[in-house]
Amino acid sequence: MTDSIHLSRLRKWFLASPPIEFAITNLKELLIGALRQGPIPQHVAFVMDGNRRFARSHGIETVEGHNLGFEALARILEVCYKSGVKVVTIYAFSIENFKRSKFEVDALMDMAKVKLSQMAQHGDLLDRYGAKVRVLGRLDLLKPDVLAAVNKAVDLTSRNGDRVLNICFPYTSRDEITSAIRETVEDYSTPLKSTNGASRTPFSESHITHNIRAQNLGTKHHDMSSDSDSISAESSTNEDDPILRNDYPHRVYESGSSFSSSTTLHLGQQDGHPQKGATQGNLPEPAFISPETITRQTLSDHMLTKGTPPLDMLIRTSAVERLSDFMLWQCHENTEIVFLDVLWPEFDLWHFLPVMLGWQRRISKSRQNPEAEGNFAGDSPESSEEDLDARVLRQGKVKGI
Amino acid sequence: MPSTSRNTIRAQIRNKGESLTPADREALLKPYLPDPADLTNSRSARSSRRSKSKQPRKTPIRTFIKSQVHRLAYALTHIIFGIVVRLIQAYHAVVDRILAIVYHHHRTPELIRKDVRSLKRLPQHLSVILTLRSEDDALAVLMDEVAELTAWCTCAGIAQLSVYEKSGVLKSCIPALHQIISTKLASYHGVSQQPSLQLYAPHHAVHGTPNPSTAATDSIALLLLSSTDGRETIVDLTKTLAEMSQNGKLSPEDITPELVDAEITEITAHPLRNGGSSRPTNGAGTDTGAAGDDLLKPEPDLLLVFGPFLKLDGYPPWQLRLTEMYCTGDRSHGATGDGEAVEYQGFMRGLWHYAGAQMRFGR
Repeated sequence: MTDSIHLSRLRKWFLASPPIEFAITNLKELLIGALRQGPIPQHVAFVMDGNRRFARSHGIETVEGHNLGFEALARILEVCYKSGVKVVTIYAFSIENFKRSKFEVDALMDMAKVKLSQMAQHGDLLDRYGAKVRVLGRLDLLKPDVLAAVNKAVDLTSRNGDRVLNICFPYTSRDEITSAIRETVEDYSTPLKSTNGASRTPFSESHITHNIRAQNLGTKHHDMSSDSDSISAESSTNEDDPILRNDYPHRVYESGSSFSSSTTLHLGQQDGHPQKGATQGNLPEPAFISPETITRQTLSDHMLTKGTPPLDMLIRTSAVERLSDFMLWQCHENTEIVFLDVLWPEFDLWHFLPVMLGWQRRISKSRQNPEAEGNFAGDSPESSEEDLDARVLRQGKVKGI
Repeated sequence: MPSTSRNTIRAQIRNKGESLTPADREALLKPYLPDPADLTNSRSARSSRRSKSKQPRKTPIRTFIKSQVHRLAYALTHIIFGIVVRLIQAYHAVVDRILAIVYHHHRTPELIRKDVRSLKRLPQHLSVILTLRSEDDALAVLMDEVAELTAWCTCAGIAQLSVYEKSGVLKSCIPALHQIISTKLASYHGVSQQPSLQLYAPHHAVHGTPNPSTAATDSIALLLLSSTDGRETIVDLTKTLAEMSQNGKLSPEDITPELVDAEITEITAHPLRNGGSSRPTNGAGTDTGAAGDDLLKPEPDLLLVFGPFLKLDGYPPWQLRLTEMYCTGDRSHGATGDGEAVEYQGFMRGLWHYAGAQMRFGR
């Protein structure tokens, strides 16, 4: 152990000597500049794993290991932002981590507070990255003082440029997905405001024709006129009246402003009084957007990472080869997942570079050969052009034949 | 510089950040920060920083040279990187062939059992991502691969296998697939001792004989997954929940991770709960306890990706929380962009990796 420390000190001294440092700095600059020449992932996520193990193997305090981890983060953020990555997401603290020893949790919280308020004090320095901080996760689980630091940091950096640093603070992906589902459900179960009689035109032409058509179609709904039944009749009436559905699918669900926006409500209450729609505003029948309009995009928009480009790359250090509840929703499609056998405090440009080069290689390959496997949906304007070219060529061939 | 800054940072942490003035911190962070000109302006403006003049000076030649140098560096690094990658690939390909010779199953369950015996742990639920190739007989090849994998799993004592194929083409031919796998199992175990196979997919009925008349007590559950079981399922669940909430049958606060988990698990759960009644006698046997109560794990323990790099390609996200992933890697000729062939040594490497074992050339 002591041997390795002495050796590493010697190495550090060597690397810190002015000519070597100068050369290394320039080499790094050159490499980053070179990286910029190729395609660059827009969104990279890191699982900063291995701080504790690093501390243990080097015989230092766990907290110290976490501090070294923060230094590594600063290094890698610099590389990322310099080479053109727009969004960096880091997994700082899992909800599960609250189960660790109280001492460590407190130390981590303290550290987060210090680092965040540092960032906040030095909004000017983050300014130079043009990066804003966003904290993703269950902020309600934080202590008030940490929460205050979080809010301050987010506030102060909110006016920075288009780059983003997402810090997943008390976060798990399952929790995120569940929250997204819950929020979507809440959105969809909020009655539409526009159903009040005041904001509605009393006799809309389409409404009357609609009701007449419904009358002609079937008389079996007439007995469902009671208010309590009208809801449960919703699904059956929808299925029974395909014509109505075809006529009114979007009109009803999307605009919802010209008349009370549930077809079944009117069906239930028509009873030969189509004009009743005018007074319907008095009835407390809620009207909703149809749940059928929920898509993947709806859920994606409720994820904590909304508004960021799709995740291109996820890197986890310390050779643990699982996601541990991180970015499940975001990374299961086109993301390249990389597991590295290096502890996070040691993570540097030299580990990051091969990953980036490999990614660039694959991207340029998939652009050359757009039909091949491993095609990324990402930023590939050239590929579409090539597609076009290929199509033109093919057409040419057909004509030639 | 880094060491001194490290020391100051440490000292500062000890004092909870009070020992440093803002100016000190600024000085500490400075070497890690790029010049604002780097980010706000494009590459062309970058060289102005170098000149260190207050007023922005135009240096077209320097900019040009710089961009050319970067371009050259880009080309050079990629050439070198390409060579290195090719060399590594070649090395792995050789190792792979050697392994393929040393470890071959010869369609003998005993041999596979012997390979697996020394492993410290085995996944109870193995999942694989397969890709449909673009050739004419792609479906036949794919089905054969599934059959091989199933046979290996029965030999190794893995009770559940799930196969993910993006397009879901496998789900459309479950009876044919069942036939093919049965034939394959018979060729491994012999017709009389053929393990029972239950083939199922979300929203499909179980296909297979739950209780075989044969003496074999072995059984395997094979789950077929496709991209519609991923996000689409979660969307469907949301739709249902939203409808229930609209009808007042559920309040949004009731939606907890446990509820979602239960619902999503239900989709991929074994429709019949009479799965493997007893397990094969297997040296590794770390999982006999869980097999007793007939509950098959909904979350895979190990995910094998037969492909050049690790991409989930739409695999159902919810179940992946704690799954170990292993990618067989880019072994073959990189020219074919398709997924890798499913080979026994790839399967074994995955199991070795899961067990934390090193691969050995000798048996």
